[in-house]
Amino acid sequence: MRYFQPATLDEALAIRRGNDVVPLAGATDVYPARAGRRAWGDPTHKDVLDLSRIEALRGIEDRGDHVRIGALATWTDLIRADLPPLFDGMKRAAREVGGVQVQNRGTVVGNACTASPAGDGIPNLLALDAAFEIEGPSPRLVPAEAFFTGYRATACGPHDIVAAIRIPKREGRGHFVKLGARRYLVISIAMVAAALETDAAGRIVSARIAVGACSAAAGRLPLLEAALPGAPLTDAPALVEPRHLAHLTPIDDIRASAGYRMAAALALVGDALADLSRPAARVA
Amino acid sequence: MLEVDKDRARHAVQPQHAFLVTLKVNGEEHRLNVDARTTLLDALRDRLHLTGTKKGCGLGQCGACTIIVDGRRVVSCLTLAVMNQGKEITTIEGLANGALHPVQQAFIEHDAFQCGYCTPGQIMSAVGLIQEGRTRSDDEIRENMSGNLCRCGAYTNIVDAIKDAIAHGLDPREAMTQAVEAIAQDAGREA
Repeated sequence: MRYFQPATLDEALAIRRGNDVVPLAGATDVYPARAGRRAWGDPTHKDVLDLSRIEALRGIEDRGDHVRIGALATWTDLIRADLPPLFDGMKRAAREVGGVQVQNRGTVVGNACTASPAGDGIPNLLALDAAFEIEGPSPRLVPAEAFFTGYRATACGPHDIVAAIRIPKREGRGHFVKLGARRYLVISIAMVAAALETDAAGRIVSARIAVGACSAAAGRLPLLEAALPGAPLTDAPALVEPRHLAHLTPIDDIRASAGYRMAAALALVGDALADLSRPAARVA
Repeated sequence: MLEVDKDRARHAVQPQHAFLVTLKVNGEEHRLNVDARTTLLDALRDRLHLTGTKKGCGLGQCGACTIIVDGRRVVSCLTLAVMNQGKEITTIEGLANGALHPVQQAFIEHDAFQCGYCTPGQIMSAVGLIQEGRTRSDDEIRENMSGNLCRCGAYTNIVDAIKDAIAHGLDPREAMTQAVEAIAQDAGREA
C-alpha cells in the first residue's frame, strides 16, 4: 500500500487524477472498514490519499447566506460552532457519532463520502438541502439529493475530492432523532432529521424531513413534506401516515428486521415533529 | 532543512510505504521509521514501549486506547502514526508528576475499576472531559464518557471519581495545564 500526504488541494487533485486512491480525512472509518476486509496487506486495497495536512480544508465558516463545512471539519468542530437553530439537528447527530474521542477526529464530510445507509450526518444534510463542493476535472456544486446515489455510492467521481459542504441558512429549526440498540456508541436502526419553518401563528410554512438506515441511501419524505404546510405544528405528529414512508426499502440485518425498522421510522418521524412542537431546547 | 522536513517535502506528492516521523510523546521527541499502516497505538506500544495505553477492540469502540493529542482526546487505534507528526501527544505515562494526577488519585479512592484494563483510557478520557468542562451533571458526564466501555461495570464509581477530582481542587481549566506541566518537569529532570 502506498501512502500520499500532500499539503495542498491542487497536489491532492493531481494525485487523485493519476492514481487509484481512497481519500482519508479523520481516518476513523477507513481502519475498521479495512480490518473487516482482512488485514491491511490485502493486495486489493487501494493506496491512501491522506488529506489531513491540507490546511485550506479545515474549519466551519459562516458565509452570510450559507455555512461552509470544510472537508477536515470534525464533529467536535460542528458541536462547538456558533450556528443558528436550523443546525440543531445536525449538532444532535454530531453528539451521537461514536464517543467524544471519535467526534474529535471523524469528519462531517468523511461521514457523507462513506455514504453508509446508517451515516448519522446524512439525513440532516438531506433535510438541510446541503450542497457538495466537488473539486476535480469538472468542479461543480452537487445537491445532497443527487450526491447520495445508492449503497455506499456518491456522485464524487474517482478523480474528484469533496472540498466542503455548503448548507443554506434559512429560518426554522432542525432536529434529529435516532434509534439504536442502546443510548450511546451505537449504529442506527433508524433515524430521522427534520428542518421546519413555522409562521407566527405556529403553522408550518415548510417542512423538510429525511429518514436514514431504512433504504440503501437515506431519503426525503416528499409526500409528508407536501402534506404538512398550513397545518399547526402541534397537529403535525398526528398527520404522519404509513403511506408517507411507503417508498422506503428497509432491510433485515443483525440490528433489526425490515418490519421493525419501518415501524420505528414511522414512530421516529412523529417523535421528531412532537419534539419540534415543544419550546426549543437547545443542545450543545 | 531538517531531514524530517526534506522527507516530508518528498512524500508530499511521491507516495511512500514507510515514513520517518517525529512523535512528541509526553514532552519527549522520538524519531521512528514506521510503515504507513502503523496506528499511533501500535507505535506507542510496540515501538516506544509505552504499554500503559491499552489495545482493546482496535476498532474505535471501547476507548481503552484513549490518549490526548493537541489537547483533544482521541482513540489512538483509529489514527495513523504518520498523521500525528509533530503533534503534542500525552499518554497515561505522562500524567503523574511525582504525585499522582488528581484524576488518578480519585480513581483509586473511589475504586473506579476492577480488572483495570480500561482504566488508563478512562483516566485519559476523564482528563480530556474535565478540560472540556462538560461535567455539569451526572448525565452529562455519562454522555461524554460514553466512548469508554468498562466491562467490569465500574461506571458508577467512575462518575463519582470524576466528580471528586473536580470537587477537590482540580479546576477544569487547569486539568490539562497540570498534565502539561508535569510533562515539562519530567523532561527537565531527565535533561
